[in-house]
Amino acid sequence: MANTGFIDTARRQIRLMCSRKMYLFGMILVPIFVAVFFLDLLWPGLPLNVPTAVVDLDHSEMSRQVTRSLNATELLDVKVEVESYDQALEKVRTGEVFGFFVIPANFQRDALAGNSPTLEYYSNMTYFVPGTLAFKGFKSVAVATAGGVIQNVLSSMGVAPQASEALIKPLDLGINAIGNPWMNYSYYLTPSFSMATFALMVMLMTVFTITIEIKHDTSRQWLATAHDNIWVALAGKLLPMTVIFSAVGLFILWLLFGWRHFPMNGSLGAVVAATLLMVPAYQMFAVFICSVLPNPRLAFSICSLFGILSFSFTGFSFPVEDMYGALAVFSYLAPVRYWLLIYFNEALNGYPLFFSRYYFVALILFSLFGGILVARLKRACLKPVYVP
Amino acid sequence: MNVFKYISNWFTAFGRAFRSELKTVVHDPGVLLFFFALPLAYPVVYTLIYNPEVVREIPIAVVDDSRTPQSRELVQKADASPSILLYDYAADMPEARNLMAEGKVFGIMTIPSDYAKSLARGETAHVEFYSDMSLLLRYRAFMSALTDLQLDVIGDVTSDKVGNLGAASLAVGGMPVKSESNFLGDTEQGFASFVIPGIVILILQQSMLLGITLIGGTRREKFRFSAPDNSSATARVWGRAMCYVLLYVPMAIYVLRYIPEMFNLPHYGAAKDYLLFIFPMLLGTAFLGQALNLFMKERESAFIIIVFTSVVFLFLSGLTWPRYAMNQVWTWVGNCVPAVWGVEGFIRINSNAASLAESAEPFKAMWILSAIYMLAAIWVTKYLDLRHSRVASSHNGRN
Repeated sequence: MANTGFIDTARRQIRLMCSRKMYLFGMILVPIFVAVFFLDLLWPGLPLNVPTAVVDLDHSEMSRQVTRSLNATELLDVKVEVESYDQALEKVRTGEVFGFFVIPANFQRDALAGNSPTLEYYSNMTYFVPGTLAFKGFKSVAVATAGGVIQNVLSSMGVAPQASEALIKPLDLGINAIGNPWMNYSYYLTPSFSMATFALMVMLMTVFTITIEIKHDTSRQWLATAHDNIWVALAGKLLPMTVIFSAVGLFILWLLFGWRHFPMNGSLGAVVAATLLMVPAYQMFAVFICSVLPNPRLAFSICSLFGILSFSFTGFSFPVEDMYGALAVFSYLAPVRYWLLIYFNEALNGYPLFFSRYYFVALILFSLFGGILVARLKRACLKPVYVP
Repeated sequence: MNVFKYISNWFTAFGRAFRSELKTVVHDPGVLLFFFALPLAYPVVYTLIYNPEVVREIPIAVVDDSRTPQSRELVQKADASPSILLYDYAADMPEARNLMAEGKVFGIMTIPSDYAKSLARGETAHVEFYSDMSLLLRYRAFMSALTDLQLDVIGDVTSDKVGNLGAASLAVGGMPVKSESNFLGDTEQGFASFVIPGIVILILQQSMLLGITLIGGTRREKFRFSAPDNSSATARVWGRAMCYVLLYVPMAIYVLRYIPEMFNLPHYGAAKDYLLFIFPMLLGTAFLGQALNLFMKERESAFIIIVFTSVVFLFLSGLTWPRYAMNQVWTWVGNCVPAVWGVEGFIRINSNAASLAESAEPFKAMWILSAIYMLAAIWVTKYLDLRHSRVASSHNGRN
């Protein structure tokens, strides 16, 4: 093999990485810590037993039955019984409970007399997930209470239980959650946020390793080692990092699918491939930014801003389809979005690979086109100017 | 040295640190970016991302094996719901699954061939709905629309039949017990309304931390070999902290008061409550940043060490995942972050109209954190002084 200087550049890079703890921290510790953080924090996947309050103004046999039903739901945990709406609202404001259920005075009498009393429930939607779960629990108890009253009256009239069941529930609308029947939040949040943090660190560390040469005025030496060929210089610098990042990425996948047994209804190989393609995609993304803005401050700022905003506009929680067009465009610029779409298609939905074809193409395109402006980076490396 | 002399020296050092820090900030474009551009622009960008608020008209496919007026009526009712849009009928399940895999629909409704017959016979008719689970927000929208649909159909059918049975008393208004759902705080259940009040607090903390650590890292690099500063470390820490807090007062007013107003987000709190509330968070952050300078060997360290923590802090704050469901370890880690308390208290004041008194717990916690981080910042400053003077003297010795 002709001596292109690649080996020397790679050796130089490995020495550089071993000399600074920052590389160990940014390339390995942070991505793995964040993945473990999400896996542990979001265990077991659904924040059941939402703290709630009951306002029982009736104190009857029936109202106590309602309170028991509320407590029996795994969604709810009745923390306190209070005597008025105002007291319950105060508990919401201090954060003690996330919602409350009001049983009106004379509830039992009115229900049996056919006066249709109203059960009211309040869910605090300033906290979306517990608010939603409280709402779900309250609603099911309210509906079941109404059904129970009808059933009681009907059975006292001599209607057979089975017939009255069909009377109360003429339509059973079963809702099936494909791929995640457990409603596990962790199956969304852990992969998306771990991978997006991983992507952020790939970007930042790539910017770090390139711009530090310009900053410390060693960029000429770096290029010289690679016989003044910017492509060889970049390959020698970035490939050792690609290897480490890929290993970290695969380790995160093992944490998810191996250690914590996340569902995998399709091809694990596809998710592995997506991860291995995402690393160079982000490295080249960073190379592109460094080529356009070859100074640490701007390159770091742009990559940080973009990396952090990616958490939002890649549609982890709010769908891209419903965003304003001008912002939705940005979501297509973040490689991690394609990784996420592949993960959904494979792990949760189990679709054939065919349906993910464009996402793979997109990931590859980032690696291919990230280098179009390296000539500019080379000029900057030959005449390094450090602007803090 | 007498006490008065000491006090006057202290204030001189304080004033000098304050002025020189102000100068540093103004002359460093990187710091200006974090201190001003970021808190000005980010809340707007975030709100624009989530401003469509709710997911509407989600396309679904229907596999109708009943093909009766009753089944068509059910589909029409579903289509009429604001969350659901009938994309198309599919001949069978595989065709519908294909539409879903291509991303054209996010839900499939299957109506069995005996649907109309079951309804007529007074048996329970079973309809199945399959929801794509790529986003929980869509599932949630389906869930609530379909529950309403089910109750709607049940209301129609049951009240008729129960009435026919002679239990007329039960049939008044359809159901013997009514229920009424109310939403507190984010009454529209919008996504921006829920997420932005929390995010703006994190933006305040994280942008300030980035700015402070950027200054800290730069200072370590630039003045590595200059003469050590012999003035009181406490005075310097306070002088710098006051400089940061003062610069952040207008930012806090803009972010906490005007952003919710501009975008019509829930905004029920009293300005004096939330502005007083946020003060100890700004102070605590100003000290925390100076304590973190321990790890900032150079300017670029700030990006690598601070940026990713935003994601961790966001989750520790309980905005997405409630704090009651966290284990002890993460609860305690969260307790150490000023913004975690800041998010909790500000959301309650802003969205639930809580008073400062009702937010006493987070308010107190932030004052305690401020005290702890002040001591930490003073210790770090002294420690760095010591190392600095050692490095500087050995450097001078060599020359």
